[in-house]
Amino acid sequence: MNTNLDEVKLTAYALNELDETSWAAVEKLLAMDPVARRWVEDVRRTAALLESELQAEECPSLTTEQTREIQRQIHLREKPGFWTRQWFPSLRLVEALAVVAIIVILGAMLLPALSKAKFKAKRSVAMAEQRQAALENRVEDQPKPVQQPAEPPVALDLNEVPAMTSPAPAPAAIPPAPVMTVNPSVTQPVALGQTRASDALTRAPVASSQDFGLAAGGLPIEGQDNNSLRLPGVGATFQAGRSATTATSLQFESVKKDWSYGHRLQERLADEHDHFNRNRWSAPPAQPNTESYADLADNPFLAALDNPLSTFSIDVDTASYANVRRFLTENQLPPPDAVRIEEMINYFSYNYPQPKGSVPFSVNVEIASCPWNAGHRLVRVGLKGREIARDQRPPSNLVFLIDVSGSMDEPAKLPLLKESLKLLTRQLNENDHVSIVVYAGAAGMVLPETSGSNKATILRALDRLQADGSTHGSAGIQLAYETASENFIEGGVNRVILCTDGDFNVGVTSQGDLTRLIQEKAKSKIFLSVLGFGMGNYKDSTMEALADKGNGNYAYIDSLNEGRKVLVEQMSGTLVTIAKDVKIQIEFNPAQVNSYRLIGYENRLLAKEDFNNDKKDAGEIGAGHTVTALYEVVPAGMTPDETPGVDPLKYQRPARPPVVSDSDEMLTLKLRYKQPDGDTSRLLTTPVKDSDKSYARASTDFKFAAAVAEFGMLLRHSPYCGDATMDSAWEHAKSGLGNDPEGYRAEFLTLVETASRLAGK
Amino acid sequence: MDMTEAKSDWIKVALREHEGPLVRYATQITGDLDRARDVVQDTFLKLCAEDPARLDGHLAQWLFTVCRNRALDIQRKEQRMKPLDDVELATRPGREVSPAAQAEQNESTSHALRFLKHLPPNQQEVVRLKFQTGLSYKEIAGVTKLSVSNVGFLIHTALKTLRQQMAETGAISERRSS
Repeated sequence: MNTNLDEVKLTAYALNELDETSWAAVEKLLAMDPVARRWVEDVRRTAALLESELQAEECPSLTTEQTREIQRQIHLREKPGFWTRQWFPSLRLVEALAVVAIIVILGAMLLPALSKAKFKAKRSVAMAEQRQAALENRVEDQPKPVQQPAEPPVALDLNEVPAMTSPAPAPAAIPPAPVMTVNPSVTQPVALGQTRASDALTRAPVASSQDFGLAAGGLPIEGQDNNSLRLPGVGATFQAGRSATTATSLQFESVKKDWSYGHRLQERLADEHDHFNRNRWSAPPAQPNTESYADLADNPFLAALDNPLSTFSIDVDTASYANVRRFLTENQLPPPDAVRIEEMINYFSYNYPQPKGSVPFSVNVEIASCPWNAGHRLVRVGLKGREIARDQRPPSNLVFLIDVSGSMDEPAKLPLLKESLKLLTRQLNENDHVSIVVYAGAAGMVLPETSGSNKATILRALDRLQADGSTHGSAGIQLAYETASENFIEGGVNRVILCTDGDFNVGVTSQGDLTRLIQEKAKSKIFLSVLGFGMGNYKDSTMEALADKGNGNYAYIDSLNEGRKVLVEQMSGTLVTIAKDVKIQIEFNPAQVNSYRLIGYENRLLAKEDFNNDKKDAGEIGAGHTVTALYEVVPAGMTPDETPGVDPLKYQRPARPPVVSDSDEMLTLKLRYKQPDGDTSRLLTTPVKDSDKSYARASTDFKFAAAVAEFGMLLRHSPYCGDATMDSAWEHAKSGLGNDPEGYRAEFLTLVETASRLAGK
Repeated sequence: MDMTEAKSDWIKVALREHEGPLVRYATQITGDLDRARDVVQDTFLKLCAEDPARLDGHLAQWLFTVCRNRALDIQRKEQRMKPLDDVELATRPGREVSPAAQAEQNESTSHALRFLKHLPPNQQEVVRLKFQTGLSYKEIAGVTKLSVSNVGFLIHTALKTLRQQMAETGAISERRSS
């Protein structure tokens, strides 16, 4: 390090700002020059300090007025967008449109071969339907149809457009309007093929009220249907299947889908009843399978001397277990990365005592022998959130944000989703308020804020949902959070419940951008629940990240039973957050512990500095939730088999051995948490001693949790399985069954049996 | 998704990501939060007229450049030069922390910020752009109209000074292990 220039380069190197040629030169210098190495290290440390302090500085935002002005500018520069969540055509306007509609329909009948007229007719019928809907139920909102911005009646004054709405002028309605069209140029629906054609005609009137009508917001006009069908001379038919071969076929894209959906729905109806009855929703796996799981590597053993602190965020998610169960019930072993052990352990609730005093959860530690490695100790840390009686549940403001994109059109997705949300809805009362936002190609409000006492309205709105189109997750998330904050209940439950297969493919689609969006929204004190549905293109990684960043919880719903567990039995836990940003830090005493390994929580690890940093987001705990974490501990005097050790350093003399306390405590458990609406964390500290309990004397909960961990490690092909086998996992689970009123633990036994059989093949 | 939707999404994402950092940055230049907000609003209004494809890959640099120019304009026009220390105070987040939490915090942070504000303004600016905003040397050079090597030199000098001062006062402890 001779010249000043070299120093500047070293700094640039330390900050990753060097080009490749200089990089190599600096590397060479570093290999020889300890002073240079020292400087690089210093720069990095100073940079890290600066980053953490500077980035913690407040970021003031623009005023609402200013943001609105920018939004207005966006609108002005684009073609005016017509979906707005407030837009409701005035009755007079709609009536005028209806007259136009009738004229156009007549015109279309009399002037064949005008595909344009056909389109208008379609639109007009949609309008008329909308009017009907408006007349029938003005309060019960319908999805806002998106109109082509071509005609004067829909040319809205921009000032009426709420500033925060997305301007998306999608060409199709959301969900697309079911459209009956009169097509005079086709006298026979030839393109449909014989059976389907007759099917279409005979079923049409039924389909329009049962299937089509549900979709779009409009109650079909019975007379219209019948009229059209009774005009064989004109050849009225539904625009269906491949019959739309004209230039306008693109515009009918959504209609086709509607039709085919309706058609398939009919065919499946009987099937689905079956599914309902069995409470198990399995569909043939979609091909090709594009499920995605983030890579996960098991936490290694860490020496207590070098790494005395283990820090992680709690995680109450349970999705991984339900997902693993789905694989196993389909007689497949799950992909290892789909197995998150902490979520499997936390799927089950444990019998920890209720908290005392003002702390929102109790902390329970138990230590016994590790069942898969007799010399090791297993430390179980268990938290139990305060239970809230159902009748003491605070008032809630729930926004159901529902993915109705084409990928949701499977029995295990949208239909199951509807039934699950209906279960939840039936639990609500007059203190609760529900809004429903859907998103597909764009986002729209299906149900404005509605009291929980008005169940019929909510159930009906759910019933109407129908899948179609691409998935514009970001717009839906925006709208849902806006709705939630408009109806914000101070001191109540304010939560967006996102139901999706996670396959976002329009708008902000990268996981990074979506999580940033959610992270931003999470600051608004609105919590998030992510309910995952379906398979085939299931995006586990996206959804877990969303829930993680969005102050939320994440469950995978593979059956109506699971829906009941998450939304009815554990309703309070799912909805009511009692503490947020809950972090655990354990300091291990090297006098008692050689090394330790946190089982699971791989993607919840925090830097030790994050523990005291209140800006660092962490997991939430809901009312009555239990959270369990397991550590495998190698006692002092032993070494874990897996660590080959490293050669002694060549350039450094070993540091003086640190003074090790002679305390007989094994570890000190520290917890930080915030009140759900608080910004400052509180600290709990508990020292823990190992009382040398044997596995046999451990509690049933301890045994069961250990068995689940064992099973998870086996499914993950973890290098730390020790003596674990499927058989031993089964035995341990059996001895840990305890009181299992709902049979969840018994179900676990059958899953172990299945996995054992599959693995043995 | 059609073009218009893509564009409005693009602007919204830009807002979400850069709004706060831009206001913070502009406040450091103008010394006044309201003016800073006006500057940032103007910046985004300009963004609305831009072609997303043209700015692809250097959106942040573009935003900070426009924001800086506008902020300097206003500052020059109004001749309101505020010493940076006041701005610091004005933009420091007002937290309510218990004395105990505060003590804990004092222990764990080194208060690099204390020393930062004694650096020359040009060093402060590049340090903030680098470590607060996360821009690269090259982007900072683009924003500040300095050369890349000049930026490197300023950052190096700033870090060296900070490092020395912190070591002298013991604000930075040798927390190598833990």
